[in-house]
Amino acid sequence: MMHALAASSQGREVFPYPIDVKDFGNGLKLVGVRFDSPGLAAYYSVVRVGSRHEVEKGRTGFAHFFEHMMFRGTESYPEDEYSEVLRAMGADSNAYTSVDRTVYHILASSRSLPKIVEIESDRFQNLKYSKQQFEKEAGAVLGEYNKSAANPFMGLYEKLQDAAYDVHPYKHMTIGFLEDIRAMPTMYDYSLEFFRRFYRPEYVTLLVVGDYDWEELSALVERHYRDWKRGGNVVDIPREPPQSAPRDASVQWPAPTLPLLAIAYKAPAFSTEIVDMPGLDVLSQVHFGETSPIYQSLVIEKQWVDFINAGATDQADPPLFTILTRVREPEKLADVRNAILDEVERIAREFPDEKKLEATKSHMKYEFLLRTDTANSVANTMAHYLSLTNNPSTVNEVYALYDRVSAADVRALATKYFRPENRTSVTLTQAPGVGGQE
Amino acid sequence: MILFAALALGADRDPVILQSPGNPLVSFRFVLHIGSALDPPGKEGLAALTALMLSQGGTNELSLTEVMEALYPMAADFWSQPDKEVTTFVGRAHRDHLEPYYAVFRGRLQKPRFDPQDFERNKNDLLNYLTKSLPSADDEDLGKKSLEWELYAGHPYRHPVQGTVGGVESITLDDVKTFYRDNYTIENLQIGIAGDLPEAFADRVVEDFRKSLPSRNASAPTLPTPPTGKGLEVTVVEKSTAEATAISLGFPLEITRSDEDFYPLLVANTYLGDHRTFNGVLMNELRAKRGLNYGDYSYIEAFHQDGGSTFALPNVPRRQQSFSIWIRPVAPENAHFALRGAIFYLRRLVDQGMTAEEFEAMREYLTSYSKLWVQSLDRRLGYQIDSSFYGTNFYIDEIEKRLAAMTVDDVNRAVKKHLDRWDFRVAMVASNAEELASAVGENRKSKVTYQTSGASEEVLAEDREIEILALPIDSVKVVPVAESFRK
Repeated sequence: MMHALAASSQGREVFPYPIDVKDFGNGLKLVGVRFDSPGLAAYYSVVRVGSRHEVEKGRTGFAHFFEHMMFRGTESYPEDEYSEVLRAMGADSNAYTSVDRTVYHILASSRSLPKIVEIESDRFQNLKYSKQQFEKEAGAVLGEYNKSAANPFMGLYEKLQDAAYDVHPYKHMTIGFLEDIRAMPTMYDYSLEFFRRFYRPEYVTLLVVGDYDWEELSALVERHYRDWKRGGNVVDIPREPPQSAPRDASVQWPAPTLPLLAIAYKAPAFSTEIVDMPGLDVLSQVHFGETSPIYQSLVIEKQWVDFINAGATDQADPPLFTILTRVREPEKLADVRNAILDEVERIAREFPDEKKLEATKSHMKYEFLLRTDTANSVANTMAHYLSLTNNPSTVNEVYALYDRVSAADVRALATKYFRPENRTSVTLTQAPGVGGQE
Repeated sequence: MILFAALALGADRDPVILQSPGNPLVSFRFVLHIGSALDPPGKEGLAALTALMLSQGGTNELSLTEVMEALYPMAADFWSQPDKEVTTFVGRAHRDHLEPYYAVFRGRLQKPRFDPQDFERNKNDLLNYLTKSLPSADDEDLGKKSLEWELYAGHPYRHPVQGTVGGVESITLDDVKTFYRDNYTIENLQIGIAGDLPEAFADRVVEDFRKSLPSRNASAPTLPTPPTGKGLEVTVVEKSTAEATAISLGFPLEITRSDEDFYPLLVANTYLGDHRTFNGVLMNELRAKRGLNYGDYSYIEAFHQDGGSTFALPNVPRRQQSFSIWIRPVAPENAHFALRGAIFYLRRLVDQGMTAEEFEAMREYLTSYSKLWVQSLDRRLGYQIDSSFYGTNFYIDEIEKRLAAMTVDDVNRAVKKHLDRWDFRVAMVASNAEELASAVGENRKSKVTYQTSGASEEVLAEDREIEILALPIDSVKVVPVAESFRK
């Protein structure tokens, strides 16, 4: 049975597991995290490429599509054989793509690590697939879009990103614009170019969490990845100019839905240098968490909305701090919006309660400890920070910053970021005339 | 290290206590043998709403707001997971907070507040799910629930766990109080706790609940046998905004984890449709080779995915199970083909069986892969409790033991015995409902449309067989989505 190595909640650093690091001279880094999961190890390949890198017209969604192609085999291990190797291990294996990263993960017996290093290094260096395989997978990606297309939250986010950004690729969702997804089958040659550009050691960090022998592991990685050459590709990602006026957009949804409302502000990029980003994380809990005044007022007492939450995700470039809610009664939409805007003004004016601030810091620390209880969940958390900074100490630095956030910081950040000219609001409501149940 | 302990309480409801020295987290899984199958006719949703009043409501001592305030610094969880046969209350906290957490946990289960304001909110949440989310926001969920509706006509498994629109509308707070009083008994409770527990903690909890919950001997109602059919009974749920067509099909099974045949069928099902991996025939044939959709899987028991993982949620045990195939949304022009394709590959398994080599590969895979299902102590606790529901040894050990003694003939015989059927109920969510219904009803040729031209000769040859596969259609009907789950 696996469990954390008596993760002390009293220690100064939130991440209590020993970390090993090795660089291989070609830009590739290996990070090991020793976690008490006897006989089990998680192997993550963290690629710092996501939809943020899709700067060319007509190529939205490509980073995600390419993730699918990474499972289509090499000369040494064609698609079927690659699957067969993982099957024989009894491994759990998959991948995901987000705005800033693509992460490939395998969870399997530690005994399988030599084979995993072999097949993973092989596909990252020698991927090879036919045009036909490529075209069929494009159909699967369209299917992936279709499976979520009925979800009004997807419609809301699409509109929000599009309205809030003018030039930065955050303007589109990771899955991409539908017209670009439909055109994917024609982009075989571009996919080869994409591989050449981004599947290079300087974009990748390998992460192993669990039960492993560091000397053996690093020698193994060195043997299999040392001939991998840097690509030297640098993408010029457009900087989003500062917003100068509030923006409003709306979506008429063609199916029955409760109204959705997003009020978003441009927020700071991920950083452990300044307090802004961690400060806004604390703020989101203090002022929009379950025990916050607005949650208690709108969800519990007035029952105008069925949930409300807020926050910004950690991103390489400035993300949105989004306040999101779903309104129970369509006619209350304006009241809800006003209540949120009043609250935003209030928190820029008043200091948060010190006791609430302390409770929040405790909440965030224990939330982290409760979330990191298996080799896989620890790896998932570490992969998140490696994708942002390529530095395994980041996780501890961020949590140290959380501890230092003061009531004055919280108020100052609200003043700094929650300005009307920095705001984008989107409502999604049921289109007039849509049938449905009352 | 894990130490198992069982404290006698009665029959298959003995507490499951997993002692895990050094583990910083404590998990509670309190399984009440109360599910939506117990909903009174006309009050469908009562079990789920009662569970919400406990997990999203206050206690005698604390209002919901005060409960939230108490749990906030601990970041501790408490939620209910209602299903057809059981409702599980799951709690997770750090060991640092065991006692203050337990004080809130016990209050919520033993002394729920039943506040009218909480009732209004929870009831509205269920109604909004049934009238807005389910018919509108997730066609796959709609397809699966429509399939259960058709599989279990005249059976208490029929309606969604969340109820029906008419059922939930008619529930009063008094109904909830009465349902709680009658069913939240010590006999219906199975206690599960796991973690680095202080000495005597588990005994204290068991004693506490034994004193606090009423005792009332009630056995679970007997379940009728689900109806069998003569051929395919197809329901097309008409939804004008469906861009793609979600498909679920299946038939009731006579076996569960309690039965010997379940294990060879588990191997066969992994081969046919392992959930979200490329091991399954359906996934390879329909998605990888043809690009029809995002995924195609099959199941021999109720399966709810645990978050973003590929594993099943524990504590969804049922006395009756069904076989099902889940075809994720396909382009409308390929819906009929995809339905035939799924049945084609199932029939190939039934008719030809697995080869010895395929069997060995799946046995090797499942023996290792199943161990990943219980990575965390919390999931292990859930699986241990389910094992007592089915009266087996620890399920993961049972899989290893059964698979070690199994032969390919066992698998092929079990497939013949349990999957050689044509009485599928089929649910399809589609915008072109009438057209699809008549095409399926008339067994019209369903030519596949590929987005791009390339496909291997082998695939094209099979396509020609699939396109004209004659399905024994018993009935076809079109149901407007607005009429689904009304009552």
